[in-house]
Amino acid sequence: MASKDLVSALADLKEKEALEISQGRLNSGGDPMAILSDARRGMEIVGERFASGEYFIPDLVYSGEILRQVTEIVKPKLTKEAKVKRLGKVVLGTVAGDIHDIGKDIVVFMLDVNGFEVYDLGVDVPAQKFVEKIEESGAPIVGLSGFLTLAFDSMKQTIDAIKAAGLRDKVKVMIGGGQIDEEIRKYTGADAYGRDAMAGVSLAKQWV
Amino acid sequence: MSESTQKAQAPAFEPSPAFLARQKRIEDAFNLRRPDRVPVAPAVVHYYSTRSRGISNKDAQYHLDKTLEASKEATIKHDWDAAPVFGLVSPAGPWELLGIQQFKWPGGALPDDRPFQFVEREYMLQDEYDEMLADPNGFAVKKLWPRIATTLAPISDMVQMELPPLIFLANSYTLPPLIGGIVSPPPMVELLEKMLELARETEKNSKIAAGYTMEMMKLGYPFIVGAATFPAFDWISDTLRGLRGSSLDMYQVPDKLLATINMFIPLTISTMVMATEQSGIKRVFIPMHRGSAGFMSDQQFAKFYWPGLKALILGLIDAGVTPLVYTEGDYTPRLEYFKELPPKKFVLHFEHVDRKKVKKLLGNIACFWGNVPSPLMCAGTPQQVKDDVKELIDTFGDNGGLIIDSTMGIPDESKPENVQALTDAAREYGVY
Repeated sequence: MASKDLVSALADLKEKEALEISQGRLNSGGDPMAILSDARRGMEIVGERFASGEYFIPDLVYSGEILRQVTEIVKPKLTKEAKVKRLGKVVLGTVAGDIHDIGKDIVVFMLDVNGFEVYDLGVDVPAQKFVEKIEESGAPIVGLSGFLTLAFDSMKQTIDAIKAAGLRDKVKVMIGGGQIDEEIRKYTGADAYGRDAMAGVSLAKQWV
Repeated sequence: MSESTQKAQAPAFEPSPAFLARQKRIEDAFNLRRPDRVPVAPAVVHYYSTRSRGISNKDAQYHLDKTLEASKEATIKHDWDAAPVFGLVSPAGPWELLGIQQFKWPGGALPDDRPFQFVEREYMLQDEYDEMLADPNGFAVKKLWPRIATTLAPISDMVQMELPPLIFLANSYTLPPLIGGIVSPPPMVELLEKMLELARETEKNSKIAAGYTMEMMKLGYPFIVGAATFPAFDWISDTLRGLRGSSLDMYQVPDKLLATINMFIPLTISTMVMATEQSGIKRVFIPMHRGSAGFMSDQQFAKFYWPGLKALILGLIDAGVTPLVYTEGDYTPRLEYFKELPPKKFVLHFEHVDRKKVKKLLGNIACFWGNVPSPLMCAGTPQQVKDDVKELIDTFGDNGGLIIDSTMGIPDESKPENVQALTDAAREYGVY
């Protein structure tokens, strides 16, 4: 068992193996931080496989569940907070009036495994909450998610609120969701829209 | 197809020439025959008709008469070739009385101008599969009812109560105190009061709905949809396990997930055959959520989604019912699967799809419905909408297998002039 490494166990979604390796390493005095760091590397590969079309939502969900269990095993032995070097900050949420979280969660996942520090504001987020988080975090990137057609107006209102707070030239705004296209980008005044989570990641990478 | 003359709802209905002309137009398109012109028919209208007439989403949800009056006005104004089915925005009164947990709605937990939305959770836990599979009805009443409709909790408690010896108590001395004891605790009293109100509300709404149906048909507008169901996988993923739960189940308990799918397949077919007999309209609307590209891999689709969908479609066709397959999300990578199905026996409605690819693969198999982008409807101009409809007609018009609609029916926030542009374009470019 110890011959197989945790990185590939997680990347290949081998739940039992990943947990056994983690427990085994911990029992034989392994560094809990190293276990978490391997798990994180495994998640990066999961992200790459999602980006290349090999993995889909069920696979992302399952990898998240395996990571959760690995973290549970390791947690009691952790002495310090894991510090990971981050590319940049992103404030992200589903706009007011819309409670859809699936698309938003995928973008958060993909930004996270690609090295961004994501402030996930959740769903049905009022415009003012985005403004406050941008001010507080100093994040240069904002992501607005929405699935319903009412989100077109909520996105526009959120961007207007960012403008009114004098923050528009300090941030780049990307929008996304099932029904978003160039027409809606123009309508809302966003800087760009992304068809999928990978588009969101490449926009964020261009903008940091 | 005389099967859709709606006899069950309307014994005295004499179809007018306008009704017959619209009905033939739709049926020709479904059967890939050229009608007199391309039909325009929204598969789904949620709040467009009410919003565009200044009625709040809350009022639409609580006053079925206002909603259906608005639906009538919109149908006449835009001269659609079929009347929108009622029930897409269901009356919220019954939800409130039942203590429904799976929806949030305007006038309930949401502000007045929001649409109702589904609250996805693990209403059934992964370790409950065995219990559910062993006794599905018992599980529904004992476990699911109190979770999704809190008012029903006393019924759930009652069926789980250890029963006294009923034979000994079945006499005029002891039956009154027994039954009195069951119905008198406060939660049961509240339940009974709410059930009485629910009965009245349901009766009232059924009359309003039946009146609407008859009025629309007399005005010359047929209905397309006779009943609706999800495919087996979506019933499980949407309403029982949630996206997270069903995703984990594919890996952790695939056999139990498949056993549940197999249990649901015949139920989806038999309930729909029964429902179409009741409505007299032999067509079933099948909205689909979790099978679209991006939601699962092709292998996962082949293993968990397609078998349930295919069996449902074939089962309905066998029973003389036309499946209206309503795809949500991008279905381009799944198009090949539909080649396995018999031609002209089902219809495909699209949100996102590669039009040319559909024409190439399924152009002689299924009528193409929908796909005018919702952003155009909400933020575009009438000319942009007309140009898009023209492109659809140029692509699909040659054999008549085309019905005009937006991606997800008519979006709530559509500009009325853009909705009218759908109709105008069909007249301008779609006369065969």
